[in-house]
Amino acid sequence: MKNRNLVNLNMNPCKMCMPMGSALAFKGISSSMFMLHGSQGCSTYIRRHMAGHFNEPVDIASSSLNEEGTVYGGESNLKKGLRNLIKLYRPEVIGVGTTCLAETIGEDINRIINEFSREEDCGAACIIPISTPGYGGTQFEGYYSAILSIVKAAATEAIPNDRVNVIAPNVSPGDIRNLKAILEDFGIDYILLPDISETLDAPYSTEYRRIPSGGSKLEDLRKMAGARATIEFGLTVPDSLSPGTYLKERFGIPLFKCPIPLGLEYTDIFMKVLSELSGRLVPGKYISERGRLIDGMIDSHKHNAEGRAVIYGEPEQVLAISKLCCESGVKPVLVSTGSNSDQILPLINAMGYFNDFDEKLLVLKDTDFETIQKLAVQQKANILIGNSDGKFITEKEGIPLVRTGFPIHDRMGGQRLVHSGYGGSLKLLDDITNTLIENKYEKYRENTFQRYYSPKKHEDKTNIHPCFSSLASKNARMHIPVAPTCNISCNYCNRKYDCQNESRPGVTSAVLSPEEAAAKFAYAKDKVANLTVVGIAGPGDALANFPQTRKSIELIKQIDTNITFCLSTNGLMLPRFADEIIEIGVSHVTVTINSVDPEIGARIYKEVNYAGKKHTGAKAAEILIKNQLEGLSYLASRGVLCKVNIVMIKGVNDSHIEEVVKKVKACGAFMTNIMPLIPAEGSAFQNIPLTSSRELNEMRKKCEADIKQMYHCRQCRADAIGTLDDDRSAGLWKGICKGFSGSESRNQKVCHKLTRGEVHIEIQNIYADGCNVGNNARV
Amino acid sequence: MAKGQVTDILEERKEFIQCKSNAGGLGLKCEKDSVAGSVSQRACVYCGARVVLNPITDAYHIVHGPIGCASYTWDIRGSLTSGPEVYRNSFSTDLREQDVIFGGEKKLAGAIGEIAERYSPKVIFVYSTCIVGVIGDDVEAVCKEAERKYGMRVIPVKSSGFAGNKSMGYKAACRALLNLMETNSTTWPRQSEKLTGVNFLGDFNLAGEIWIISNYLKRIGIDIVAKITGDSRCEEIMKAPEASLNIVQCAGSMTYLAKEMEDIYKIPYIKVSFFGIEDTRLSLMNIAHATGNKDAVEKAKELVFVEELKVKAKLEHYRKRLEGKRAAIYVGGGFKAISLIKQFAELGMTTVMVGTQTGRPEEYEVIRGMAVDGTVILDDSNPAELEKFIREKGADILVGGVKERPLAYKLGIAFCDHNHERKHPLCGFEGALNFAKEVDLTINSPVWKLRRHHL
Repeated sequence: MKNRNLVNLNMNPCKMCMPMGSALAFKGISSSMFMLHGSQGCSTYIRRHMAGHFNEPVDIASSSLNEEGTVYGGESNLKKGLRNLIKLYRPEVIGVGTTCLAETIGEDINRIINEFSREEDCGAACIIPISTPGYGGTQFEGYYSAILSIVKAAATEAIPNDRVNVIAPNVSPGDIRNLKAILEDFGIDYILLPDISETLDAPYSTEYRRIPSGGSKLEDLRKMAGARATIEFGLTVPDSLSPGTYLKERFGIPLFKCPIPLGLEYTDIFMKVLSELSGRLVPGKYISERGRLIDGMIDSHKHNAEGRAVIYGEPEQVLAISKLCCESGVKPVLVSTGSNSDQILPLINAMGYFNDFDEKLLVLKDTDFETIQKLAVQQKANILIGNSDGKFITEKEGIPLVRTGFPIHDRMGGQRLVHSGYGGSLKLLDDITNTLIENKYEKYRENTFQRYYSPKKHEDKTNIHPCFSSLASKNARMHIPVAPTCNISCNYCNRKYDCQNESRPGVTSAVLSPEEAAAKFAYAKDKVANLTVVGIAGPGDALANFPQTRKSIELIKQIDTNITFCLSTNGLMLPRFADEIIEIGVSHVTVTINSVDPEIGARIYKEVNYAGKKHTGAKAAEILIKNQLEGLSYLASRGVLCKVNIVMIKGVNDSHIEEVVKKVKACGAFMTNIMPLIPAEGSAFQNIPLTSSRELNEMRKKCEADIKQMYHCRQCRADAIGTLDDDRSAGLWKGICKGFSGSESRNQKVCHKLTRGEVHIEIQNIYADGCNVGNNARV
Repeated sequence: MAKGQVTDILEERKEFIQCKSNAGGLGLKCEKDSVAGSVSQRACVYCGARVVLNPITDAYHIVHGPIGCASYTWDIRGSLTSGPEVYRNSFSTDLREQDVIFGGEKKLAGAIGEIAERYSPKVIFVYSTCIVGVIGDDVEAVCKEAERKYGMRVIPVKSSGFAGNKSMGYKAACRALLNLMETNSTTWPRQSEKLTGVNFLGDFNLAGEIWIISNYLKRIGIDIVAKITGDSRCEEIMKAPEASLNIVQCAGSMTYLAKEMEDIYKIPYIKVSFFGIEDTRLSLMNIAHATGNKDAVEKAKELVFVEELKVKAKLEHYRKRLEGKRAAIYVGGGFKAISLIKQFAELGMTTVMVGTQTGRPEEYEVIRGMAVDGTVILDDSNPAELEKFIREKGADILVGGVKERPLAYKLGIAFCDHNHERKHPLCGFEGALNFAKEVDLTINSPVWKLRRHHL
């Protein structure tokens, strides 16, 4: 499993940078200010991101590195920045984080800050440097780097005391307040780091404070080295970044590592630790809350069982949310984080719940939202759980989102969400359950009516077919190879029935009967998300085998009334069958028209077999062209969406293509698809030079002035299944073979070939598969 | 609190702040780098370039750098599209430590290749971020090579964050746009074949604003050749050199482009603003006159007459509820600040503080001319100064962006979102009405009374 679909690109980031994490941590230190040593934008972007989520003023300074500072060193900028910051805010603690830029030009901020502290009047401010290059990790690593730096700077002297260090996870101020209340209910004297409960969710006051009150006090942090224990909510935090591990190794302070208390078992762990540390029993109010959580889980379990969740965010949150889902029966189908975390996968696997599910759970690290989006569809997810960046998937795929974590920019109250403890877990679970219910009930009446009572409604036809609209790229299509014979012979064609190694039109692994095709469809429909289109693309011509074509469509219509049918043809028999095509419900037709001039056509077509007679030369081309254009005009006039495929053949029809485009446009074509000749070995055109993608795109761009162009054609096989970018035919064939009742020997043959074919799946993916021109292929 | 009192205004910032008086005096200091440690509200060069180019709906925008820059600007502009949605994605080369050590050129070339093969795009913009220049990547060479290899435009945008301020980013974007216009340069200039239409520079189609203005222009018989850049396509920007007139709204970002186009393509330009009734009226009439078409002038008069009638009575309703209130303005560019001062005046309100992130000297002169005595004028301000002057001047409302909103609320005053995220148009006649409505609903909200409630 690849973590990301793209290799060199992150498309729609599911992470932020390290400085963001350290800024978040520093906002939880009392009377502190944070400054980024870098260019002005870093601090401003982070401020905007935080202000939009917390609805609090977020002041973060910048050393505003300019060109000069970048070339000659940013020391004077940094010092000036500190001086000004102190004048404006008079903080007790200043965190200075580096950025990509400062790290790359090699700024030694430790030295600069030491010098500054010695030389200048800092108003007694304690200045803590933190190394947070933006390329070094995500906000998750930045958060713990900052806390570790703070601990190292503040906790230097081990004077034993009776307090308990608590390393807070990056959760909402509401959650931090909740954790504090729980600690207090156990009577634990704690030192919480960081504490954003007030600083990033300040009550309204008539007196405005430039630095909000609240936060971890420096004098408390100094006592951390002598505390009697540390609780760290961070199973996924690597030891090198773990403040608890540092305190344990440096000062021998016992470390209790807990997950975020979310879900029953994870909250139990926290309660047990607190019980042990305090010597007290779990207070009765939590026993009741716990009982209520179980009661709530039972009440909603049937709704939850229908949940297929995509969970994304920082590793620690993702882990805890997955736990809650598993406990309550919501099935996580994709757990993902943008952090390059090695901890997440073993922890998820160790949960053990996934053995109960009959399918594999996907866990991705270092991923992006483009990948998450595709997999969400593929995994048939019906709920997303994470920050508000998932809204794009909701918008595009209609999968609803339950918001939790940071940032939440498009709803109010993200800073106040409480999703921790027994009560908070139940609140989050209720949100999840209610979202599932809402989604189901919203369309319940309409869907049931549509399914059992009303016949199919005609949708907007342009946006449901992946070959007719790039907007429909998430829709999958299936080609059923039911039309073996062809009635014309093209010079570029060499049809092989049995070569899975090749990906080009006219190629299939087997020819199916209409019944077999219907069985194959029924099987594939269950396995391929969004299978909405069934097409007939040869391997010969759909209309030269019309009885089979017709029968296949009629059978499949009975299995699924909502399928869109398309077929592709050389157009020779179009005038004869146009009415029947419309009648059986074909809404999209592709006609391959390589020429509208019989002289040029004569160089492309070797033979045309029409009305029981074989024609050659210009005469053959003339018959073909006449029928193509007549059929096209008729179908278009009856509202069938027609695409015209044109094979660009260097030195034969390339200078003629613009004329073809103009002509078919006049006949009512919706779009054209100009594609390069694939010089098939053994064909008459096997030695014609290749058309480069540049030449191809130039031609498409030229023709775009006249008519919509297809840019995303994958020149696919006659038995392709899946989306244009994801051919799954090879994998699916195995299952289909099992499902067949046909002769054993034939099935074995098919299976064997496909196993071979799988080796070549990478090669196929270069072309992938997409539209079809199988009709014009001819032995 | 540490020893010593907090300062409100840093010594180095004093020349960026003025209190309007009739005595005149020197111009305001502006167009300078931000003062370190002052907590400027500005973003960086990259941000300036990104916000200008991002609304081109069918272009692929690759941010070459570590992840942050792309992460914080994903779909940031809120500009709407009538077609392609490509621009709403955020592509980043997501550079890591290894790339910083060994260089990121290979990764960039690979990234362009992936997009080229996957989408066959017409145009890719490649933004440089801070470290790209420092680690020595030759972005231009990589782009050139990719253009040759894939037969499409791959345009570098020189937007390293530290290389100036946000205004430099606008310039970098303008240069990228000029580069795009050069795509068909063999056919330019074709003076004789100029189209009659205009280019509309400096509207980014927030909440459909460019559609509102396009409709106005259509009604007075003027076609838009290229929208720069709200809801635009690469193809139309390539055609921009054929237009006969440039109308420039966001002067801060687009004046450079307008001047260059005047120079290269001999297209004259006029400045416009569609914020507020007065500026909308003036702009429409100016455009009609500039086309030299009598018919257009007549139609513009009629349009203004009709549209003003439609909103006047409603505006009067708001005016009664808002008269005498005091406004503070802190926005990105000067043109918007100027329009806002007029707009508040239309509502019977007084502007008591006005500042911008990237205003230009001539804009501050206009502001000085319009402002009433005692108005505080600020360039590249910060929270401490905004706080001080909002309090001192007794402002009832602040106009600004996301970062300024919580400050206004904590200070207990109303706020108007004049930013990327708003979901209602503020331009044209109906926009002026939306503006009045928003100002009213925030200033006259019952919540402000609760501030003085005690237990």
